[in-house]
Amino acid sequence: MKKIIALLLASIMILSACGANTDTGNGDNAGEAADTSKITIWAWDPNFNIKAMNLAKDVYAADHPDLTVDIIENAQNDIVQKLNTGLSSGTTKGLPNIVLIEDYRAQSFLQAYPDAFYPLTESFKASDFADYKIGPTSVDGKNYGLPFDSGVTGLYVRTDYLEQAGYKIEDLQDITWDKYIEIGKAVKEKTGKDWISLDPNDMGILRVMIQSAGSWYLNEDGKTANLEGNAALKEAFETYKKMMEANIVKIHADWSQFVANYNSGDVASVPTGNWFTPSITAAADQAGKWAIAPLPKLTNNPESVHASSLGGSSWYVLNVPGKEKAAEFLGATLGSNVDLYQKLITDVGAIGTYKPAAEGEAYKAPNEFFGGQEIVADFAKWTAEIPNVNYGMHTYAVEDIIIVEMQNYLNGKGIDQVLTDAQKQADAQIK
Amino acid sequence: MREAKALNIKARTNVISWSFISVAVIMICAFYFYPMIQALIMSFQSGTGTNLSFVGADNYTRLLTDSTFMTTLKNTFLYLIIQVPIMIILALFISVLLNDKDLKLKGFYRTAIFLPAVTSLVAYSVIFKYLFGADGLINAMLLKLHLIAAPIQWITDPFWAKITIIIAITWRWTGYNMIFYLSALQNIDNSIYEAARIDGASAFTQFTKITVPLLKPIILFTSITSTIGTLQLFDEVMNITRGGPGNATMTLSQYIYNLSFKYTPDFGYAATVSYAIVILIVIFSILQFKLAGDKNG
Repeated sequence: MKKIIALLLASIMILSACGANTDTGNGDNAGEAADTSKITIWAWDPNFNIKAMNLAKDVYAADHPDLTVDIIENAQNDIVQKLNTGLSSGTTKGLPNIVLIEDYRAQSFLQAYPDAFYPLTESFKASDFADYKIGPTSVDGKNYGLPFDSGVTGLYVRTDYLEQAGYKIEDLQDITWDKYIEIGKAVKEKTGKDWISLDPNDMGILRVMIQSAGSWYLNEDGKTANLEGNAALKEAFETYKKMMEANIVKIHADWSQFVANYNSGDVASVPTGNWFTPSITAAADQAGKWAIAPLPKLTNNPESVHASSLGGSSWYVLNVPGKEKAAEFLGATLGSNVDLYQKLITDVGAIGTYKPAAEGEAYKAPNEFFGGQEIVADFAKWTAEIPNVNYGMHTYAVEDIIIVEMQNYLNGKGIDQVLTDAQKQADAQIK
Repeated sequence: MREAKALNIKARTNVISWSFISVAVIMICAFYFYPMIQALIMSFQSGTGTNLSFVGADNYTRLLTDSTFMTTLKNTFLYLIIQVPIMIILALFISVLLNDKDLKLKGFYRTAIFLPAVTSLVAYSVIFKYLFGADGLINAMLLKLHLIAAPIQWITDPFWAKITIIIAITWRWTGYNMIFYLSALQNIDNSIYEAARIDGASAFTQFTKITVPLLKPIILFTSITSTIGTLQLFDEVMNITRGGPGNATMTLSQYIYNLSFKYTPDFGYAATVSYAIVILIVIFSILQFKLAGDKNG
């Protein structure tokens, strides 16, 4: 009998040893999370978010040499997956202090894991930030996210191709999507270049169009789908089909092909978020050939304006040891430092959503690559006009339904039937 | 007295042998059966993230009316019905060719055909994505050879995307299955073939009447493992087409991933979909055993 007990104990010890081993193996920062002289930050995109955070870190280090800030780069999908597994398992070991979350997904995290995030209401002044960023980052009046980059959109255009087709950049100010397609046809005819590059698996262009009209896939409550009878969405669908049928679209399947289509000069325009600027300027030989026009608006929708948002993300503090330090760090840097925002513009090209920063010098500087256009000032102006919508909890779930129904629509199914079917599927999916 | 002692020794050997096994048993229970039972319990719950609550059989009824689930099921079956037979026949064929006694450079051919099976799933998927891209090598080659007039949309067309996935998994797994056949072929006594040749059997008759029946257990084994593999297909689809266009190439496993990580997480419903896969695998394995009609398969 003793032997059995001894053996059982031994095997339990082996098991627990295994457990302990995997713990130290997985959470490189498991022990460090408890150590409050160090905070860990997760973000994606080394040329943008990581670079911006490094600037903030340097600024903060000048006054607080005792705090170590460890910035770890992860792909966005990996961050989403790690957060989901970590938070749902109930253990916060191995999770960072600060994490970057895309605005479209923010509500999904904040509401699915109610106590996992630390409120930042005290750490910064919400009214200093663009209105449209506050909705997605807060729950029940409490701010959980510090708004970061603006997803404000513009229409990037190759002016040399435009001129060959007999148009000037002035002709693109305040146009409708119908006019946009018309110009695209002329450019294609004269230059042989496609007008826009689209990914059939990414309906970003639809999101841009409907947000410009103050509409979204979901209702104001953020929980129920708003597809059937959504006038803005209907027109966006029709516009998308018109583009496809006008034979001005080059299809890409992933990000690198998307960027390559522009860098190689194969495609002449892109309506997208301002974070695309570094990808455009990466092709140094195209300097002076680009300009940025305001976003076209929906032709038949009186609500639609020449400003919208695509992407954009915010910083969140997790409810783990070190949260006070992390909140203080965010508050002192991206939450209030006007000079830091000037540096973000000059060094990273990141346009924030902190209103007082727009008064700074860097915001007014002309950009030689874009023919001396004051692009930051333009973007800042459009940021203020972005309609505020509630992205809700299910943007990506609904979008996957939309992607499928869009294919059906392009193949000849009636628009009203398409939206009715999409609504039915969405209702079943997101209850 | 003596009898009691004998019993005692027997009991002690029992205890010792059981305690050796117990380590493995405890491990399997802790890391296999416990999560399986937890997942089963979870499949009766629904809600976002950590806000799970019991909903009875709701998840299972939702499964039957879920059009995305049905599409992924259809896609998975399409891969299964088309890809598994092609791959099994191809592997069988290649292994018979490579088993030829007079073949030179046998080792080289075997290595070359087995090599895809050692590459990382993600790495080869990414390479396939670029090979089959609209401006990729395959299109460039076909265009140069004047076999096609315009580039084929391998990744973004619903039909061609499925073909691309099937080509990719066939490339990756044929060599793996071939190895099983090769080793089994080497266990077939050459005298059987000699006898058949003396009786005047053609090469084809030898293949269908001798090779295939003798390889039956292995064919059964490879078709079951391939079926299970196909039902769990994830990496290739995730990396090559991301399930697109729309959900034209999405598999069951990718749907589970989307439900748990891409959308607002509903782990309960995701667990239900995983149990649907479990049930399918069990049904298919039983079916294949029955069709093969071989108990010792």
